[in-house]
Amino acid sequence: MVASNHDTHDTIAAIATAHGRGGIGVVRVSGTRLDGFAQGLCGKTPRPRVATLCDFSDDDGGRIDQGLALYFPAPHSYTGEDVLELQGHGGPVVLQRLLKRCLTLGARVAEPGEFSKRAYLNGKMDLAQAEGVADLIDAATEQAARCANRSIHGEFSLAIHALARQLVELRALTEATLDFPEEEIDIGTRDDQLRRLAVIRTQLDTLLAASDQGSLLRDGALVVLAGQPNAGKSSLLNRLAGEEIAIVTEIPGTTRDAIRQSINLYGVPVHVIDTAGLRESADPVERIGIARTWDAIEKSDLAVLVIDGVKGESAEDRAILARLPKGLPCLLVYNKADLANKPMARAGDSESPRVTLSAKTGEGIEALRKALAEAIGWRGEAEGVFMARARHLDALRNARSRLAQAQTETRRQELFAEELRQAHEALMSITGEVTPDDLLGEIFSRFCIGK
Amino acid sequence: MGRYRYVSEFAIMRTLAQRYKKMQHIDLYDVIVIGGGHAGAEAALAAARLGCHTLLLTHSVETLGQMSCNPSIGGIGKGHLVKEVDALGGAMAAVTDEAGIQFRILNSRKGPAVRATRAQADRVLYRKAMRTRLENHPNLRIFQQAVDDLILEGDQVTGVITQIGVRFKARAVVLTAGTFLAGRVHVGLENYQAGRAGDPPALTLAQRLRELNLGVGRLKTGTPPRIDGRSIDFSVMTEQPGDAPVPVFSFLGSRAQHPQQLPCWITHTNLGTHDLIRAGLDRSPLFTGVIEGIGPRYCPSIEDKITRFADKDSHQIFLEPEGLTVHEYYPNGISTSLPYDVQYALVRSIKGMENAHITRPGYAIEYDYFDPRGLKSSLETKAINGLFFAGQINGTTGYEEAAAQGLLAGLNAALQVKEREAWCPKRNEAYLGVLVDDLITRGVSEPYRMFTSRAEYRLSLREDNADLRLTEIGRKLGAVDDVRWAAFEKKREAIAREQERLKATWVNPRMVGAAEAQRVLGQTMEREYPLIDLLRRPDVTYDALMTLPGAGPGVTDVQVAEQVEIQAKYQGYITRQQEEIDRSAAQENLKLPQDLDYSKISGLSIEAQQKLAKQQPETLGQAARISGITPATISVLMVYAKRGFSGQRKTA
Repeated sequence: MVASNHDTHDTIAAIATAHGRGGIGVVRVSGTRLDGFAQGLCGKTPRPRVATLCDFSDDDGGRIDQGLALYFPAPHSYTGEDVLELQGHGGPVVLQRLLKRCLTLGARVAEPGEFSKRAYLNGKMDLAQAEGVADLIDAATEQAARCANRSIHGEFSLAIHALARQLVELRALTEATLDFPEEEIDIGTRDDQLRRLAVIRTQLDTLLAASDQGSLLRDGALVVLAGQPNAGKSSLLNRLAGEEIAIVTEIPGTTRDAIRQSINLYGVPVHVIDTAGLRESADPVERIGIARTWDAIEKSDLAVLVIDGVKGESAEDRAILARLPKGLPCLLVYNKADLANKPMARAGDSESPRVTLSAKTGEGIEALRKALAEAIGWRGEAEGVFMARARHLDALRNARSRLAQAQTETRRQELFAEELRQAHEALMSITGEVTPDDLLGEIFSRFCIGK
Repeated sequence: MGRYRYVSEFAIMRTLAQRYKKMQHIDLYDVIVIGGGHAGAEAALAAARLGCHTLLLTHSVETLGQMSCNPSIGGIGKGHLVKEVDALGGAMAAVTDEAGIQFRILNSRKGPAVRATRAQADRVLYRKAMRTRLENHPNLRIFQQAVDDLILEGDQVTGVITQIGVRFKARAVVLTAGTFLAGRVHVGLENYQAGRAGDPPALTLAQRLRELNLGVGRLKTGTPPRIDGRSIDFSVMTEQPGDAPVPVFSFLGSRAQHPQQLPCWITHTNLGTHDLIRAGLDRSPLFTGVIEGIGPRYCPSIEDKITRFADKDSHQIFLEPEGLTVHEYYPNGISTSLPYDVQYALVRSIKGMENAHITRPGYAIEYDYFDPRGLKSSLETKAINGLFFAGQINGTTGYEEAAAQGLLAGLNAALQVKEREAWCPKRNEAYLGVLVDDLITRGVSEPYRMFTSRAEYRLSLREDNADLRLTEIGRKLGAVDDVRWAAFEKKREAIAREQERLKATWVNPRMVGAAEAQRVLGQTMEREYPLIDLLRRPDVTYDALMTLPGAGPGVTDVQVAEQVEIQAKYQGYITRQQEEIDRSAAQENLKLPQDLDYSKISGLSIEAQQKLAKQQPETLGQAARISGITPATISVLMVYAKRGFSGQRKTA
C-alpha cells in the first residue's frame, strides 16, 4: 500500500498538546482494539473513562514517565474508535519518547486533522463541526478560538438549520400553490410570501455578516504598506508590531525587500507586508522588488499608502493611487507628524480615509489601528461570530443572491420556487447533511389536501 | 338425481387443474405480463412494440383498462407522466383522447413547467379503447386466467402457472398485480377479501410471493360512495366546465377524437356533515385500528380530514361524471370507509345531495406491496432475474404512475429478452426517472404519488417538451413507430427553423413605430433587436410578437410556436439547471460494483454497511439518496472508488 493511502482503520497517534514546554503533555491514540495496545504501554488496560495512574514503559521495559491514562472504548469516544489518551509531563523529550513508543507498538503518526476526520467519518460530528475543530486547532488568536468553539458546538449548524426551517415553510407555501391549485387552501397572499422572504433575507444577511467576521478572525487580512522610498513604511511596521506583544511570526517575504509580519489587531490576525518603495528605477534588482510589490498589492485586502507628511502628497503618490486596483480599499497615512510644523498638505481628491501620525514617536498609532480595523471590515465584536470557512461563505453568498433573484420573480411562481430551491440547497451544503425532501411533509401537515 | 347438477364451479376448476398439470406446455413467450390494468396494458403494449412475443394474463378480459378509482387521467405531475408515456409510444394519452369527456389545463396561468393536462374520462369508452388497442396489437395475445404461481429455475423466472394449472413459459415476466395481492376491502367494521370491489383477490400468488425473498408491506387506499346523477340537484352547485379550446392529450391527438364534453360540479361538506362523521368514528376501521395499512396523506378519507383539520368548517367536493351512458357520479373528496349508514347520512347532508341515491358504497382497501428498494432501476427485481414489477405492487398509487412504470418494465423486459442494455431514465431526463429513483432509493412510507415538487429539474421536465426529451430515445429502443417518428421529426425541424429565423430577423424602432412597440412590447424600442431577444421578455408572447411589423408570419403549428416561446423565455434557467446536472454527473453516475462487499470497506458505520449491503445501489448517486446515508459515507465510497474497490469485492 502506498504510504499516502492510509487505511482508515489503522492506529494513529499524535502529540495533542502544543509544541514546547508545558506542565502536562498529551499523546492521543485512536484505532480499533486498543486494549492490547494499552496493556503494552501502561502494563494494564485502564478502566474505560476512568483516569488511571500508570507507568508508561519503553521498548525495553524501562519507564518513560509516570502519568494518567484515559481509555475510551469505541464508539463512545471523540473519533468513534477506541481512543487512548496518555497524559504525561510536558516537555518535548518525554512526549517524543512516548510517541516513539506508540509507533513501535504499531501506530503511525496521524496526519493533520486526522482525528477530526475520523470523527466525521464515523458520524460523530457533521461537516461544519469537523471544520470547526480544525479551526480551533489553527486558531491564531484567542478570540478566533472562542468563535471556533461556537461552531463545534453546532451553533453555526443550528443557525443554518433555523434559517433552512423558515425557507422550508416558504417553499411549502409556494409549492402548494403549484402542485395543488384546485385545493381550497389558505396559502397566503403574495404579500405574505414577500414578507416571509424579507425576514429570511434579513436573517441570512445577519448570519453572513457574523460569518464574514468569523472568516476575518480565522484568515485575518492581508495589508500592504506601499509608498515612495523613505516615506517611513518600515518604521511604521516596526511601530505597529512593537506596540503589540503578541507578534506571532516574522516571515521573510518573497523578495529581499518585502517583509511580512503578523500583528494582532483587536484579535484579528493581520498580516502586514512591507514592500519595496515604489519608484521608477533602473536597478534591475530593485525593479524586480517593485514588480513584486505590485503583485502583493493585487492580492491584498487593503493598501496603506504611506506619505511623507513633511513633503506632502506628491505627483508620485498620486500616480501610485491611480494605479491601485479598482475596488481595493485604501488608507492614506501621513507620516512624520513630529517633523511637520504646519498643517500637513492634504491635496488630492481621494475619498480614502486618512490618518496622520508619527511612526517615530508613536503619536496617532492608535488611530491607525482603529482605521485599519475599520478598513478591513472588523466590527470589533467577537461575540456571536461564527467561524466560517470560505466554503461556508460561498454557500451563504450563493443563497443570498438566489433569494435576491427570487424577490424579482414573484410573478413567475415556478421561477420563484426554483430560486428558493437553489437557496435551500446552498444552505444544506454547509452542514453537509442530506435532508429528505420534507417539503411535501410540510405541505400535508399544514394544508388539508385531498381532491 | 344426476350428480353433475351440483358440481360447483370450483370442482370444475379442480378437475381442469388436475388435467392440465399433466400437460407439458405448449407456448413459449418472450414476455408475459400479469395484470391488465394501467401498468399491465402499457407493459404488454411496450414489449409487443419492441417485437417480443407477448402474453397478457388477466383475471377478466372485461376489465382490461378499468379505472377502478376516480374517472380522471392526468393532473399536476401525473399529466407529465402521461405525456412521457405518450412520447415513448404508450397508449394512455391516446386512449384518453378517445374517452375524455372533459379536458382542462391546470395551472394554465402559471409557468409552463407546472402546467398540466387533466381529463375526465368515460369509463366505458376508456376500457373499450384500451381493449381495442390490446386486442389488435401485433405480437400480443390475451388470456383470461388468474395467475397462482411463478415458475423459477434457481433465481431466474421461467414462466407462470395459472389458477387451473396452465403453465406458460417465458423469458421475462412483468407482474402488475395492483391492489389484488391479498386485498381486503373495509366498509365500517365489516371486511372481506377482494381485489377491488366486485373482483376476487389474488391470494395464492400473494402467498407464493411472500415466500420469495422480497420485502412485503401493507398499504391502504380508498374510494367514495358513487351517486346516481338523477338524484343530485346540480342547480345549487357550481359548474366547472372544461377549457375552451378543448385541450388534447397525446402529441398525435386531435380534438376530433373527443366524444361529447360534460362539466363537473362543485359542492361542499358542512358542519352538519362533520358532526355525522364524528358520531360514526367509533365504527370506523381507520380509527379503531382495524386497518393497519398506511394511507396517502394527500388523499385522505373525509373522516381523516375532519379529524386532522378540525378547524375547517367545510371541505370541497368535485362531482365528476363517470361517463356519457351511465348516471353515476364520483364525488371526489369524500373517500370513506365508514359504515354504510354513516355514508348514507353524510352524503345526504351535503348541499344538492339531500335526496342522493348511493349506487355503490365507498370502501377502503388494504393490499400487499413489495418494498421497491428491492428493485433495480430497470424495475427488475434484484432477487429474481427476469421478474419485473410495475404499478401499485411497488407502493405507488394512481393510473398514471402505474402506466409509466408498466411502460418502463415492459420495455426493459423486452430489452432483456433481446439481450440489450436496460433503459433507466435519469432524474434529469424524465418524471419517470424521478419516480423510479425515488422508489428504489427511498422506498415508500405511504402510497407514492407524483408531484412536480419531487423533481429538482422541474423547469426542464415539462409536459410540453416530453416528446423532445424522450421520443428520440424511444425510437432507438424500438418503442416509437414510423408515424410518431415522422410527426416528431417534422415538429423538431420546424422548431429549429423558426428559432433560426427569430435569431436572424432584426427589427428596428423605425420599421416598428412607437405605437406598435407600445402595443406589443409595452414600451418603446430604443434600438434594433433580433426577434428572439424580444421573445425572451417575460410579457411578450409569440403570437403577439408575430403581429409586430416585420416579425411575421410565424409558424401556424401551435405546438411549435409554444416550444419556441418557452425555450426562449426559460433559456437562462434551463442552462443553469444543465450546469447543475453536469456538475453532479461524475458523482451521480459513478457505478458501484454489484459484487461489492461493504463489510470490507473500513470507515463505514455498521448502519451504513448494512443499508448499502441490503439495497445494493447501482450508482453513487442512488447511494446518496438512501435515507440515513451521510455525506461522510459518500466521501468514503468515493475514496475507495478512486482505488477501483480493489480488495473490497465479494470474490476478493
